[in-house]
Amino acid sequence: MTSYCLQTQHLTHYYSTSEKVLNQINLQVPRGSIYGYLGPNGAGKTTTLRLVLGLLRVQEGEVFIFDKPFNQHRLELLKSIGSMIESPSLYGHLTAYENLDLLQRIYKCPKARIAEVLSLVGLANTGSKKASQFSLGMRQRLGIAIALLHNPSFLILDEPTNGLDPNGMIEVRELLKKLNREQRITILISSHLLSEIEKMVTHVGIVHKGSMLFQSTLEELKTRQLQSSSIELETSNAEAAVQIAKEFNIHPEIRHEKIVLPVVSKKIVARLNQQLVQQGIDVYAINIVKNDLETIFMDVINN
Amino acid sequence: MTAAFTYSFQSEWIKKKRTLASWLVIIGGFFTPAIVIVARLINHSKLKEAYLATDYWERHWRNSWESMAMFLLPVGVIMATSLITQIEYKNNTWKQVHTAPLSLTVLFFSKLLVVVVMIVQFFILFNAGIYASVIIPFWLVKGVPYPPEPINYFYFLKENAFYFIDCLPIIALQYLLGLRFKNFLVSIGAGFLLWVASLGSLIWKYGYVLPYTYCMYNYLKGETISKAASPAVNIHWMALLYASFFLAAGYVLYVTQKEKG
Repeated sequence: MTSYCLQTQHLTHYYSTSEKVLNQINLQVPRGSIYGYLGPNGAGKTTTLRLVLGLLRVQEGEVFIFDKPFNQHRLELLKSIGSMIESPSLYGHLTAYENLDLLQRIYKCPKARIAEVLSLVGLANTGSKKASQFSLGMRQRLGIAIALLHNPSFLILDEPTNGLDPNGMIEVRELLKKLNREQRITILISSHLLSEIEKMVTHVGIVHKGSMLFQSTLEELKTRQLQSSSIELETSNAEAAVQIAKEFNIHPEIRHEKIVLPVVSKKIVARLNQQLVQQGIDVYAINIVKNDLETIFMDVINN
Repeated sequence: MTAAFTYSFQSEWIKKKRTLASWLVIIGGFFTPAIVIVARLINHSKLKEAYLATDYWERHWRNSWESMAMFLLPVGVIMATSLITQIEYKNNTWKQVHTAPLSLTVLFFSKLLVVVVMIVQFFILFNAGIYASVIIPFWLVKGVPYPPEPINYFYFLKENAFYFIDCLPIIALQYLLGLRFKNFLVSIGAGFLLWVASLGSLIWKYGYVLPYTYCMYNYLKGETISKAASPAVNIHWMALLYASFFLAAGYVLYVTQKEKG
């Protein structure tokens, strides 16, 4: 049986009686996973995360973290959770060190940990510079340092790469993968871009208009990708080629003068090609058309 | 709980570093004494006679407190309390505060304690300033004697305690408003309106129903020709009652709010 770090049961939320923003969300984040919580802007990602962390009062449904109901074990569970919701929570008039120092006292972690996390996110040399003078990327990294300060076993990050340049995105991605691999930290990361997180997540949940449309492993999503792939043939006579393909028990379609077949084995493709040539049909190109994950993501949302 | 409260207080104390509120305490504490010193140095010819008066310390105390009780203390408390509560809204950090492993009770009272300690700091600095405004002209102006009248420490401690109690309703109501409303102008504006209304109602026989009047009444009670109606109640008890009520209301509103960042 899979052990979940976070589980929500029928989480439903209304901002007003007529505005349902979440509908029966059953989020299941396995322990040790990096879970990508995906959806377009306004899908309900941040609302879900705020409910999970107790920043919004749960109206319907339940939240379990490490198999314990969050409401009844709030203080105990918050000790093991690091979070960054929306923009980083920073005191602009304080330095990076001071921002961490005030939390170090609450979490009672060793003082040395402040320097450790600052160095981990590359902010060790910011000295007396105030957080308000930080660039967007530095603010984002300090937000991550705050979330990591107390060595949490569960990290919740809401769009942590927002505002980062490509290099910054890669750095954050590598850092999160390292934390997951070396310290076995479970990470729940929300994003509106699959391409941004597909290189690090093990599990994916797709939410749209407040409903969960897909939830499984990244592998499962990739299988869907394969299933939705096709083979495209460009020939001199599309209609005749379709008739020949039918002899191979394949049922192709003609799209924009090209024949589109479902994915079949390489041998069948080779034999079909030979047959077409023998029948006097010129074959100009054979391509495998692979939908990228982003397209699958859009398909899930649009369907 | 006590340990959590101590750590939370330490954390809140760090947050006020370099804020306008912390500067207000220092500037507010020395503002009136600085003016008194300058005025005395300018009119130094009359100092000798004044310093030898038999009721010198009481008179000096009242002179120092006039602008403080009527204006600087209420407005300073309004500003400082609102600024401290606004730190979280301004930096968008309530969500971080509320995801820390601290109970809402600890958070509410530790932040409040920061405000209270700041006001105590202000009283200490102001008292030091009052003494400095006597001693500095004594050092700088030749021929000015040290006031021979002994200092009635008990009287000054008692008066400090009264002023402190009398400003508690302002702290409590400003704290409630500051926590409740994201817009800084709501708490500052409401505080300022109440202060103006309090000034205007001093001559009204029921003026004491306004919770921001008590510092002013405490000052005016010693006036020989009183500019204010004499309250028919014990204003210090009224101040404590109002402070308790606002504090309880603020606490309930804080712990029951639906959105916590």
